[in-house]
Amino acid sequence: MSVRPNSTAFMAQAMHVDNPHRETFHKFFECWISEQNSYLEDLVSAANNHNQTGNDDAVLVPLIERVIRHYEQYYRAKSNWENRDAVSMFSPTWRSKLEDAFLWIGGWRPTLAIHLLYSKSGIQVEAKLGDLIRGLTTGDLGDLTPNQIKRIDELQKNTINEERVLSEKLAKEQEAVADSSMVELSNAVSEMIRNETGGDDSENEKKVDSMLDSKNNKLEELLHMADDLRLKTLKAVVEILTPIQTVYFLIAAAELHLRLHEWGKKRDANVAESIGGAHTNDSNLHVHDVTV
Amino acid sequence: MAGMCCGVVGETKTQSTVEPSGGRQGRRRRMEIQQLKFLAAAASDVVMPPPDGSRKRRKVESIETIENTGDDIALSSDMKLVEVGPCGRGACGTSSETLGDDVLDMENSRFGLTVVCGRRRDLEDAVAVKPSFCRTSSRSSEDLHFYGVYDGHGCSHVAMKCKDRMHEIVKEEVENCEKSMDWKETMVNSFSRMDKDITEWSNSASRSNCRCELQTPQCDAVGSTAVVAVVTPERIVVSNCGDSRAVLCRNGVAIPLSVDHKPDRPDELERIEEAGGRVIYWDGARVLGVLAMSRAIGDNYLKPYVIPEPEVTVTERTAEDECLILASDGLWDVVSNDVACSVARMCLSSHEVPSPPRSPGSDLNVARGESSDKACSDASVLLTKLALARRSTDNVSVVVVDLRRNL
Repeated sequence: MSVRPNSTAFMAQAMHVDNPHRETFHKFFECWISEQNSYLEDLVSAANNHNQTGNDDAVLVPLIERVIRHYEQYYRAKSNWENRDAVSMFSPTWRSKLEDAFLWIGGWRPTLAIHLLYSKSGIQVEAKLGDLIRGLTTGDLGDLTPNQIKRIDELQKNTINEERVLSEKLAKEQEAVADSSMVELSNAVSEMIRNETGGDDSENEKKVDSMLDSKNNKLEELLHMADDLRLKTLKAVVEILTPIQTVYFLIAAAELHLRLHEWGKKRDANVAESIGGAHTNDSNLHVHDVTV
Repeated sequence: MAGMCCGVVGETKTQSTVEPSGGRQGRRRRMEIQQLKFLAAAASDVVMPPPDGSRKRRKVESIETIENTGDDIALSSDMKLVEVGPCGRGACGTSSETLGDDVLDMENSRFGLTVVCGRRRDLEDAVAVKPSFCRTSSRSSEDLHFYGVYDGHGCSHVAMKCKDRMHEIVKEEVENCEKSMDWKETMVNSFSRMDKDITEWSNSASRSNCRCELQTPQCDAVGSTAVVAVVTPERIVVSNCGDSRAVLCRNGVAIPLSVDHKPDRPDELERIEEAGGRVIYWDGARVLGVLAMSRAIGDNYLKPYVIPEPEVTVTERTAEDECLILASDGLWDVVSNDVACSVARMCLSSHEVPSPPRSPGSDLNVARGESSDKACSDASVLLTKLALARRSTDNVSVVVVDLRRNL
């Protein structure tokens, strides 16, 4: 078995090294998704070896716990970087532009977990509809019971409400870009440039810094709340499902995440190529430099 | 809101298993769990026509169970509200009381219902199930059951109001009927009163919780479909406004008891145009290019093109009737009548195997009756799961009513 890149060790080391933040989180992310990839294989083989008649929870539960801890580790690392540099976490360089376009406050939209569950469950329902009608169990997400459906629906409603609260908070912060103090200060600095009065530059700079710092703090707080909701929703789904259902859910989650990342990267590369082709003279320049 | 509840008939063996919170084992169990908060137990001695000609009593108890709130169940005067704690099978939640022989025809309601938000961000569907919601005042007093599915648009408040009020209005209308029942007239009047109630209410009430609050002051752009089934011992009366639907499964055949009110239905198109309205194709046929159904409760701004008058069908019940399915278009858009019917009837028949006797006195009838509610509930959930599997993008509401007799 090949040695897994170890994101925990990497994180521990990286947090002590004075690296540029984006760069290090980027590396952490790559470690993490390669770990996710091997966890996916573990999950798939657990699902394949699952024996419906025998009780193999003793095998499944520890695996599920490891995978959940892996997600927790991701959010711990992300939170650390958010404390250092919240703003750059809103424009993740480690994700493809495709993923970036679908982000909600720096990550996946929490209700995505419910939709993922409904979609995966739906596929398994259709595959074994005959069994289900006869009252047989399918041993997967096709088996969602009335009580589970009810709890998922409640979770969905709560999650939508919490999403809305955070979306409103984000809206508030976005609107506050044009609040009085921002406008006043931008005018003061512009006047100074215009008049070349050579007034107290450092005073305004201080004001600008403190204002932007406070905005940064609010964004940081928002990122923490959004990440908390993401992890909370993931755990709540797992809480509702049986171990084997959880395994199928986690497989679907990992597959979607990994493939979307790959597809996005591929598209980015294609776009870069076509732009590169149009600017043959600049072909040695980075895409970003060309398009600026 | 996911409402899930069911009606049970039979010697009371109500399960009221409370799931252990967090425990893996508890979660893993194949769940037949209904966490019952309240249990409305009605007990009455019902006189059955005996084979040997003598009048013999058989005790029938009806238990209506519901999650979270007790208010979805209309409690008639002979019902008691009993709070039930966690308890095992067959030991709790019963009360019995003897009624006189004057109760001649009492058939209990056996049903399952599921309402989920599904792939929408707002829940605008509402469902009302009111077993034994009223009795006819005629000579042969009949016990009537009420089932309603309401699919709101614009906001949920019209659908919610229908859920709260419609059965009360129908009850009043039925009780005001002095001579022979004219169901069509009764139901048309009921829908008309419901619509007026909505108009008055939205002109006066403060709706602090409404999403529509900011849209228009009068909430004129809000409405709801309504499909209502009143089940009597002899017939099924279905009244429909809009594109929710009631389907009867009779001997394996799906018989629609309502016809969707779509703006491009030839007779509806004609009616709309005669009233001076137009149907414009804008993402499907829409009245004035706005509403994709031709009848609804509410929607004042589209009157008189969109009307609250229901089409009413009265169907005589037969021994071959299996079940009645009421659902919003979240189901019907992706599941055909035939498929829904065969799924539901197979769910019902797969539960026919009588459970082993649990205590002296439980007989076959009881066992089947008891499993019937679970069968209905399983059927409604399976239909909901099928709708989600087939990528329904809407709220999904499904009610399955068991119509089999002599279980």
